Amino acid sequence: MSKRPKRLLALLLIALLLLGVTGCGGGESGGTDGAEDIRLLVWAPSEDQAQASGEWLQTCCENFAAQHPEWNITFNYGVADEATSASTVAYDPEDSADVFMYANDNITVLTDAKALAKIGGKYADQIKSFTSEALVDSVSLDGYLYGVPYTTNTWYMFYDKSVFTEEDVKSLEAMLAKGKVAFPFTNSWYLPAFYVGNGCTLFGNANQEDLGVDFGGDNAVEVTDYLIDLVNNPNFVVDADGAGMAGLRDGSIHAIFTGSWDAPSIKEILGDNMGAAAPPTYTLNGETKQMLAYAGSKAIGVNAHSENMVAAVELAIYLGSAEAQKLHYDLRSTIPSNTELMTHEDIAADPVVIAQNDTFDRTSILQPTVSAMGNCWTPVENMGKAIRNGTTTHDNAAEQTRGMNEAMNSNGIS
Amino acid sequence: MKEKKLKSAKAARTRNNILIHILLAVLAFIWVFPVLWVIMTSFRAEKGSYISTFFPKAYTLDNYIKLFTDTTILNFPKMFVNTLIIAIFSCLLTTFFQLSASFCLSRMRFKMRKPYMNMAMILGLFPGFMSMVAVYFILKAVGLTEGNLIRFALILCYSGGAALSFQIAKGFFDTTPYAIDEAAMLDGCTRWQVFTKITLPLSKPIVIYTVLTAFIGPWVDFIFAKVICRANADQYTVAIGLWRMLEKEYIDNWYTSFAAGAVLISIPIAILFLKLQKYYVNGTAGAVKG
Repeated sequence: MSKRPKRLLALLLIALLLLGVTGCGGGESGGTDGAEDIRLLVWAPSEDQAQASGEWLQTCCENFAAQHPEWNITFNYGVADEATSASTVAYDPEDSADVFMYANDNITVLTDAKALAKIGGKYADQIKSFTSEALVDSVSLDGYLYGVPYTTNTWYMFYDKSVFTEEDVKSLEAMLAKGKVAFPFTNSWYLPAFYVGNGCTLFGNANQEDLGVDFGGDNAVEVTDYLIDLVNNPNFVVDADGAGMAGLRDGSIHAIFTGSWDAPSIKEILGDNMGAAAPPTYTLNGETKQMLAYAGSKAIGVNAHSENMVAAVELAIYLGSAEAQKLHYDLRSTIPSNTELMTHEDIAADPVVIAQNDTFDRTSILQPTVSAMGNCWTPVENMGKAIRNGTTTHDNAAEQTRGMNEAMNSNGIS
Repeated sequence: MKEKKLKSAKAARTRNNILIHILLAVLAFIWVFPVLWVIMTSFRAEKGSYISTFFPKAYTLDNYIKLFTDTTILNFPKMFVNTLIIAIFSCLLTTFFQLSASFCLSRMRFKMRKPYMNMAMILGLFPGFMSMVAVYFILKAVGLTEGNLIRFALILCYSGGAALSFQIAKGFFDTTPYAIDEAAMLDGCTRWQVFTKITLPLSKPIVIYTVLTAFIGPWVDFIFAKVICRANADQYTVAIGLWRMLEKEYIDNWYTSFAAGAVLISIPIAILFLKLQKYYVNGTAGAVKG
């Protein structure tokens, strides 16, 4: 009868499934040389581990193991990029990597989940010895240090040197007079630069949640009025969905605002004409104001649930050390933050490094890490869109600006 | 006079037909447009994620080649195979669970039948991803969130709830007269034989429908795959891979390959549908006379 083959088939399928399942399972290697056997799970973005970009993570981890004969370390690697690792770690810290990388704007997500180890004592001193104070602050919360910063994370300006001189790029008005400038006007990571530049504050610009957001005063209304005129400037282009990069490619746009992740593409398009500079100033009612970008950092965090805490912390510090950062720069052009490296001739001459560090030091504010910051993104984005679409005009600018401020100070529920 | 009237009726009909066809053509264009656009983008030679012209300025196959050769950062072939394995096994399991449950509820009478159907109805009102974190912790407790076991875990996730969505197949089985089952049993069939030899062949359209939906579910799912795969890049499914291509670090380089990937993932579904659609027509035609 034909029912038997079918039953057989079903059995076979189940057996296949089970077979596919039992193929793995690691064996512990016994230490014979007296070294302690430990396992470390490390998560990093896939480019840090890819063969094509030089296997930075593996190289560094092996160097680290060679420096520590007291441990017999087995490394396991996983893929989690800085921007999304926090949410992945947060829902199950116990089963996450011992060492992982995160963007500092997610720090409260991680500390709320009790996933980040506090680093203190000699380790904290070691980190502070090669990291600028502002960068240390970016991964500190309530006086505790929560990671090893290894690069800054901000945006600035890339421009075509054949169109703008170094003098031009200091002022947005001078640039608009000479060429086309694209700005991600509807992206709330970029747009607040104008408001913050005119004295608007977020949580006192010092992570004080109870101070709230001050984006509704007369100074904010002035900025809204300025932005309405800016959008109507024929040389100003609203950059959305990659329009800026496309314009740079076909030559119709001469400057865009973005970060180091786009630097290789821009280098390919502009070649030797690529210039990079901190965000320019803008002229508001005759006064010169500096645009101030949001800045943050990327850091190496240690899991508070790690079973090998000492090794994990030392590995994190090694991954943030001058040696590892130099390799990271050579292999992946990750902008170093280590103060010892800033004097290195290759690094000191790189225009992207100069622009990023100049932005971090001079023309940025630390992006607030308090959780109420989560309410600040959508209202600003909506303001950008409303100005672009022409629904916010000089007539209702004051009212709309105050509406934005109200929305930024409310979580939408209470 | 009479002829003129006839002529004008004919003219009116022609006019109406033309108008209707124009309307249909416009609607068809609107409907096909996004699909066409993705296909054209997948052959676009210009880089970047922003286009100023509808038709690409130059055509190339490089986007497809890149998907299969540039595998160090986003390993598309591996993801494709992962997804295919998961989708095939979940499809088989889901189809079996779902049709069996439907058959039992349609043909048998037992005490828990009504309560079960009510419970399934109520559970079905909640979105599946509501339980995803709980599902993750259960799978972790059983030890299914490591290495290759992730595939098994995903298959379980996708097929585990199959017996709850019996409504459509049960409704279809209900339309097959019970007299056919009785006749088969008089001839000595067991329940299992009635199910496999009588009911299923008579219900081809619904079997096909079940197979298709059971395949497409895991094939396009993002949420469960993301929650369960976590940092295990070698277990990623295409949905996660395509999503990653649009992150800010990758979008400029990968956008056109993203479109190529979107075209590629539609191929297995299209093949499955074309192969199976001829069975849609049949059903109970000619089963019971009088």
